[in-house]
Amino acid sequence: MLLRILTSFCGLSFALLGAHSAAQEPAITAPKNVTAGTPFAISVVGQGKGTLYLFGPTQAIKREIEFGKDTPIAGSEASSAGIYQITVCAADCVTKVVEVQPAAPARLGFLLHPSRVPVSTPNAVNGTAIAFDQYNNIVITPSEITFRIAASGEKISEKTVRTVRGVAAFQMDSRPNQGTLEVTASLATASEPRVIQQVASEACGLRMTAAPSGATITLQTDPIRDCKGNPLPDGTIVSFIKVDGAGKSTVDTPIKKDRAIAQFSVSGPARISVACGVVLGNEITWGGR
Amino acid sequence: MPLPGPRLRVVLFTVVGAVSVAAVLSIVLAFAAPTLPRVSLSADSLAPRPIEQRTGEVVSHDYAQAWQDLALCLEENRTDLLDDYFTGEVKRRLAQRVRAQKASNLRTRYSDGGHKVKAVFYSADGGEMQLEDEAQLEVRVFDGDKLISTSTAKQKYLVLMTPGSDRWYVRFLQSVGDNAF
Amino acid sequence: MKRGLAVFVILATAVLLAAGWLHAGGLKIRAERSGSTPEEAVRALMASIQARDWDQAYSRLDHTSDVPKADFVREIAGSDGSLRTYSTLQSFDIWPVHASADQAVLRVRLNWSSAVGSLAEVRDLQVVRNGDVWNVVWPKPNFAKIPLHVLPVNYLRWDVVGRRSDEWGTAAVDSPRVRILSMNAVERPDRVVIVGEVENEDTVPAYLNITAALLKPDGSVLAQQDSFDVISHSLLPKQVSPYRIDFPSARLSQVKSVRIDAHPLLVPASADPVISVENQSVSKDALGRTILKGALVNQSGQIVNIAQVLAVFYDAGGKAIWVSDGYVDQALYPQGPVPFAVDIPTDIAERMHDYHVVVNHYTAPSA
Repeated sequence: MLLRILTSFCGLSFALLGAHSAAQEPAITAPKNVTAGTPFAISVVGQGKGTLYLFGPTQAIKREIEFGKDTPIAGSEASSAGIYQITVCAADCVTKVVEVQPAAPARLGFLLHPSRVPVSTPNAVNGTAIAFDQYNNIVITPSEITFRIAASGEKISEKTVRTVRGVAAFQMDSRPNQGTLEVTASLATASEPRVIQQVASEACGLRMTAAPSGATITLQTDPIRDCKGNPLPDGTIVSFIKVDGAGKSTVDTPIKKDRAIAQFSVSGPARISVACGVVLGNEITWGGR
Repeated sequence: MPLPGPRLRVVLFTVVGAVSVAAVLSIVLAFAAPTLPRVSLSADSLAPRPIEQRTGEVVSHDYAQAWQDLALCLEENRTDLLDDYFTGEVKRRLAQRVRAQKASNLRTRYSDGGHKVKAVFYSADGGEMQLEDEAQLEVRVFDGDKLISTSTAKQKYLVLMTPGSDRWYVRFLQSVGDNAF
Repeated sequence: MKRGLAVFVILATAVLLAAGWLHAGGLKIRAERSGSTPEEAVRALMASIQARDWDQAYSRLDHTSDVPKADFVREIAGSDGSLRTYSTLQSFDIWPVHASADQAVLRVRLNWSSAVGSLAEVRDLQVVRNGDVWNVVWPKPNFAKIPLHVLPVNYLRWDVVGRRSDEWGTAAVDSPRVRILSMNAVERPDRVVIVGEVENEDTVPAYLNITAALLKPDGSVLAQQDSFDVISHSLLPKQVSPYRIDFPSARLSQVKSVRIDAHPLLVPASADPVISVENQSVSKDALGRTILKGALVNQSGQIVNIAQVLAVFYDAGGKAIWVSDGYVDQALYPQGPVPFAVDIPTDIAERMHDYHVVVNHYTAPSA
């Protein structure tokens, strides 16, 4: 009899203890995922008060809450996409995880390289566009980005690329003629134009002529162009080198109006050459056989 | 008092020597620089640009360094540690998180179990690299000195890194759900 | 008693003063100022130049050569913001070349301490005896006389306009594209040197610096340096510059590989001035060292305050094997030739097949 009373008493004690523990550990109800910037609510089953902790990419919130009531989380508190940890503590603490997903794409980051590209170069132009929502989260769900390509003197063309993990990239050959190349990336209402310059390539068929003027010789190049006929821009350096009995003389002079000009004094036979970057031009032998 | 016998003396010297060495080692380790988190980078299907070996080594190192700085800054609530390997949006977000933690006397401690990183995009001009990171992290959150939560789980991140003058910077670090990749 | 004390104090003071004068090199200074031998005369002149006492220095000259004082001071002290105006004579060495009863020639090496390091100048000075005193015959400075005229300067200028945006992904302009054309590691007795050439491949000017790291077999960095001033930092489109990076105390046997990086910046620039390098030739200087010498001619209308000559030397295979540099301590006046010379190490001179000279310059902004 005594044994039965003891056993019953122990069982009742354990039951009461379990019930008491259950009453101390809060149970959190929260959505599994929400869209960035959208308010949502969490609720904690039970009675009494506790402390809510919300940790996210930009947030570390600590707040006193009442159990049994909905606790609102403002959209501004969940605007950064990522995994949020919600912890509620009373006597013990319980944690739940909410995934905040990016909102709809609203902005584009667009990089177009290089700023100056030599003409007629395969795969020389490359663009990378990244889709962001209004809260600067990368939008991972696939979207279609349209690249509108306008090269000076040519028809406009379009290319559509689907984003992968928020990124869309393309490559194209530079055009044969120098001038501007404008590429506009568009997604939904967002549009980002970029302009780069297509510039002449290396000098091609570099030639100079020499004319005497008193005790000096004036050297002038033909209009300096690349192999597609694009003139090299003014300011590009051309090197003239003269070797004669007095030694070697050099001058680096910039192109002006498509040509480069230099003057040397000569004493006896001389050998004169011209170069632009790593491209060599013709050689002139002056005053000798 | 008689001297201990030779055998006992040998044992005594050995024990004292071992304890001394252990003490010195533990002091050295306590003051030694923390080791970088382990980062294993794979770039087998990287496009449109293949990765150079040197770039891969530098990206791995700089990403590991960034995580080490992130863990320190969230534990000690310091924003100065974000200057070396973070830039742009992620730097702004982490700084905001640190300020929020500091205001409520909260701390987050990361124990970094390593990162399995896959490079998935490398722009043709080498200006951007996107990574998928599966990180093994133990995250403990403290309110003052009270531990309020511990979680040990694999966490996935989508990362965007961009090159600087002498290193790669983390520009975006977005935690994503299990189904993201 | 009182008188004895006063005499003692006066005597003690005199002795102490004399000791102080002796200790401060009074005898040496007196010898330098006396000019009673050719060497003393030159020494006295150099000491005055060192002290920047131009009146005293000019008084050491033999005035039959009729050198105007203003020209003498202009040549020695520099003018128009030239490197010489920022220099002081640190030390000098004198050797006799030949001497007779009334005339002598002495060789002087002047070591100038300047804002860019030490500069050496070697002169042969004639000294003549006037009575008991020897005086230095200073050669009349040959400043270029350019007739007054108008010189149109219409070279291109580049400016960078607009505000750089800090926001990533917005419109931006790329840094200039440069290419390292060559790189060669050379071992010297006390260092490892990296030499080569770099080209600005772009259509805009670049401000450029090059860094290099020597890597050990395990991949760790042995040493890291940059090109400092042995490069033409400002490169116009398609311009090529040599560079040299020195690693003191390093040996090639410690080096497994070299990592080299170019760091270009987009900067405003002008294609003016154009400086020609004329009559370059390799010869020996008065001290028997092999030098590359020539003359710089400023073809623009503004004075170039400081010019630096960079010379790259190639072997028979066209490989860059050395880069020498030297500053010209005179300003480059428009149209006036100014001589320059750079050293060539003896072993390089023996292997050298060709060379190319580039001029770096600094022009103070005009008011």
